[in-house]
Amino acid sequence: MEITHKPHFIRQCTLVWLTLMSLTVTTYAIGEANLGGWAIMLTVLGTAVIKVQMVSSYFMGLRRTRRLWRGIVMGWLLLVAGLITIAYLSTIK
Amino acid sequence: MQHNNASMRGVCAPHLLSKNTPAALNNNTITLREVHDTPPGDFAIWFFIFAELLAFGIFFVAYAFARARNVELFNQSQQHLNIAAGAINTLVLITSSYFVVRAVAAIKQNFSRECARWIAAAIGMGGIFLAIKLFELYAKFSAGISLSTNTFYMFYLSLSIFHFMHVILGMVILTAIMLKARSGGYSAKSHTGVETGASYWHMVDMLWIILFPLVYVIH
Repeated sequence: MEITHKPHFIRQCTLVWLTLMSLTVTTYAIGEANLGGWAIMLTVLGTAVIKVQMVSSYFMGLRRTRRLWRGIVMGWLLLVAGLITIAYLSTIK
Repeated sequence: MQHNNASMRGVCAPHLLSKNTPAALNNNTITLREVHDTPPGDFAIWFFIFAELLAFGIFFVAYAFARARNVELFNQSQQHLNIAAGAINTLVLITSSYFVVRAVAAIKQNFSRECARWIAAAIGMGGIFLAIKLFELYAKFSAGISLSTNTFYMFYLSLSIFHFMHVILGMVILTAIMLKARSGGYSAKSHTGVETGASYWHMVDMLWIILFPLVYVIH
């Protein structure tokens, strides 16, 4: 039966996959347009943070595990993204 | 088949299906909202994954602060990168991750051959990633660029090669899992190995998702 091979959770994963693909195309378009500046930097880095969060939550399945495991990945992500942001913003005069 | 619709609502991660024994499916909602004590797969792989995240995280931050000291050099060097190749490789890895999700979902439903096919597809995408990356690296080395060209290329080549090695390791792990799945070595009740390999492969994908915008796009 169709429902056996394409249950709801697979459709949800497919939606996540398509969203990740769309966000990647957006990042590529920004790169090809050679856009720069702090707003673009925050947009592109923010997009990457959202994408990583989607992969860890939905593909890895951490959203249904203890907060500790989600917290480690989220903490790592926010720390790395935060330090990258500080490094970039420090160069803007 | 009502249980498939009702019990899996709001759940994407296939590892949650492991709790779907027939008894559990009759009381479906409670089962699937259960919070698991450990992440999917062999717990040992998660120490490895967290160590890898830490190593790459330090690398990413070091890149950002090195750039802060050489903004012009980094901006100029970035102009020579192939953004399309980086973007295609991102699409390729994300798709391979999705294939692995499908493989785990298949084995949860006891479909060993389907699981092996999805993993084979993911390995194929990994091969495409390596081919594109090799093309990119070959172009740079042919142009006389090396680790010692400048600070930007030191980071670009080191990060690329470091990540490249992780993709190869991931493909080796997935190949072993595929062969075992093909010979019926996993089942709906025993599939920790598939989840372990899947978790590692998703990590490789996650790292590239940060690496691509950081090195190719943001300037």
